[in-house]
Amino acid sequence: MPDSGSGNPDPCLDWYMTTVVERPPLVRSSDRMIAGVCSGLADHLGWPVKFVRLGMVLACLAGGAGVAFYAWLWTMVPTADENAKRNARRPASPIAPAVSLPPVPATGVGMARPQQTFDAGPSPAVTTGPAALGGSAAGSVGSGPGASGTWVSGTGTEAAQAQGFGTATGDAWWDGRALGSWFSFRKIQYGKEILLGAALLLVAAILIARQFGVDVPLGTLIPAAAILGGAAIAWMQLDETRRAGLVDKTKADQAGGWVRLAAGLALVVAGVLVMVSGSGSWEQTWLALLASVAVLGGVALVLLPWGLKFWKDLETERAGRVRETERAEIAAHLHDSVLQTLALIQRRAGSEQDVVRLARAQERELRAWLFSDPAKESGLLAERIKAVAAEVEDAHGHAVEVVTVGDSTMTDRHEALVQAAREAMLNAARHGGGTVSVYLESADGSTEIFIKDRGPGFALDAIPDDRLGVKESIIGRMKRHGGTAVINSSSDGTEVRLALPSANPEAGESRTSEVRNSEARNSEALNGETKQ
Amino acid sequence: MTINPGGGTVRSVRVVIVDDHTIFRSGLKADLDSRMDVVGEAGTVEQAIAVIAETRPEVVLLDVHLPGGLGGGGREVIAGSAALLGGTSFLALSVSDAAEDVVSVIRAGARGYVTKTISGKEISDAVIRVADGDAVFSPRLAGFVLDAFGTAPADIADDELDKLSARELEVMRLIARGYSYKEVGKELFISIKTVETHVSAVLRKLQLSSRHELTKWAAERRLL
Repeated sequence: MPDSGSGNPDPCLDWYMTTVVERPPLVRSSDRMIAGVCSGLADHLGWPVKFVRLGMVLACLAGGAGVAFYAWLWTMVPTADENAKRNARRPASPIAPAVSLPPVPATGVGMARPQQTFDAGPSPAVTTGPAALGGSAAGSVGSGPGASGTWVSGTGTEAAQAQGFGTATGDAWWDGRALGSWFSFRKIQYGKEILLGAALLLVAAILIARQFGVDVPLGTLIPAAAILGGAAIAWMQLDETRRAGLVDKTKADQAGGWVRLAAGLALVVAGVLVMVSGSGSWEQTWLALLASVAVLGGVALVLLPWGLKFWKDLETERAGRVRETERAEIAAHLHDSVLQTLALIQRRAGSEQDVVRLARAQERELRAWLFSDPAKESGLLAERIKAVAAEVEDAHGHAVEVVTVGDSTMTDRHEALVQAAREAMLNAARHGGGTVSVYLESADGSTEIFIKDRGPGFALDAIPDDRLGVKESIIGRMKRHGGTAVINSSSDGTEVRLALPSANPEAGESRTSEVRNSEARNSEALNGETKQ
Repeated sequence: MTINPGGGTVRSVRVVIVDDHTIFRSGLKADLDSRMDVVGEAGTVEQAIAVIAETRPEVVLLDVHLPGGLGGGGREVIAGSAALLGGTSFLALSVSDAAEDVVSVIRAGARGYVTKTISGKEISDAVIRVADGDAVFSPRLAGFVLDAFGTAPADIADDELDKLSARELEVMRLIARGYSYKEVGKELFISIKTVETHVSAVLRKLQLSSRHELTKWAAERRLL
């Protein structure tokens, strides 16, 4: 089945690569009157800037819808610069941008990842346009009676947005589950924006319907939408992982978890209400509550764009600083290590062995620096084995490849194991040829290490008694610490197998019988050897 | 085997090399032996997709890290050439030993993975093996597989995607220990063909499994 793995290629990839890339991403242009929204929009839609600006001005006259639309795009659409930075891929290795990325163009055309801007950009713009227009138009024409009209329209728009968010996140989540198998995450993101727009359109339709005298039970719809929207917004603050973590922590994914959470919230809210209403009548409490919510809502509505803007600036600045620090650190490191080694290699170009040794050592050092996780605990067995392998490699100029599966903490017994492994590696590098392969497997407290070389092999019997390397340093040492050592040598090479069972015999029993069987043959060999 | 290295009718395998370092490309080209015919080269994701669609090679030697495209590197090339996967196999090449690089490109559909420090003969053998529809596992990839799937064997069902059978585990262990396919076959008293079957099965599981542990393992290494 040569292409059995090809069942999951991204179906969207072809799609947007062929059809969408020609359209420039929606970004705020640097050719600006106020904030570059109109020219950016015109670029994206391929319309003349003049018409877009004219349309925007006309929309402003239609009850201020244009202002709302403009403000929305101002906050939500990034500038070309921000966009390029945001979409610059996170390099797979810290030095990758230096070696493999072409400089990101600042114009926003031919961006590293055009599809994101396309997905996130136009859909809110295009779809929220009419909705915001309809919503604010309906509100400002005055469905509410008398002086409270402004409040009604204010909360109405707010609720509309809130509901929009709520539906969008909820449904996108559902989307992700149901369609995840054949839709990529990009597609889902796109769907989220569509849903957001659809929800806003729905709200606009409701408001217009009210204008025409259709009886819509707004009294129940708005609070419900506000509650849903509020919850959704609160959840949106958390990113994916933290959300999962929270659900995990509150045990909300278990049956009854949600019920407990909801009941608790309801009790708290009810309790607060009762406490507050103790001082006055229900009538008063409701009024006061409504007034305070309205004031808060109004303030939030006014301050939200500024707050968002401020927050975004802060994020951008912080990200920039982090990048700068990283770059400085990389430059310093490359200078200290790689450049020095390259200079050394040039001076020693005559000796092949020296060059290989230097190159290997530098590669190892750079690799450790690039790929190792600094947060990872050190002092573990795998680390020690790798360090020993590096030492042997440096001493003999033979490549020692280490593969590790699992890990365990170091004990005295493990130290003996490491020493035995070191001896075996030294032998392999000294007498064997080619690459030395080291494999460490550690599970359930028991550990095995295999050291294989491709040398001419040797007969254990042929080793004189006064040579302690193999007999004492490997076999004897392992035996003293409750382990075993097996040496299989043939003309194809030699393999030393070191096994250290768990210190706790019960844990050792959980090793699978399959492994034992495969080793049975080897341990016979061991008995033969250790008897000598 | 469609290849007869000993002479007679030697088929030459059509190869495309995709790597953004020109020096490495020419070095690799010189390293490949006479059984291979390099029909195209590419240095970016877009070039690679175009060249592969045009030349329809049997094997693409694909660097994991590539500039261009949407930043997906080798993975993106495989996805972009999805329509050709039936006739074209991908062998991933990388200087990186990082699990995320290796496993993500395998899961995208590559038939194997080798490091760039591999010798000319080894890489030629690997290309032939991939051209024949087999999988190429380096010791390190085998280590990742053992790490991801765990070292306990599946109970009965060998077809299960989420666990390795006892035999597959043995094969993976031996490869991780540095055994060649031939040595694995000798050690387990099975033919090379059987070893290749096991390795292909493991590759399939690695590509298709959505096992919880594998996902968790991948998430820990920021693969998903």
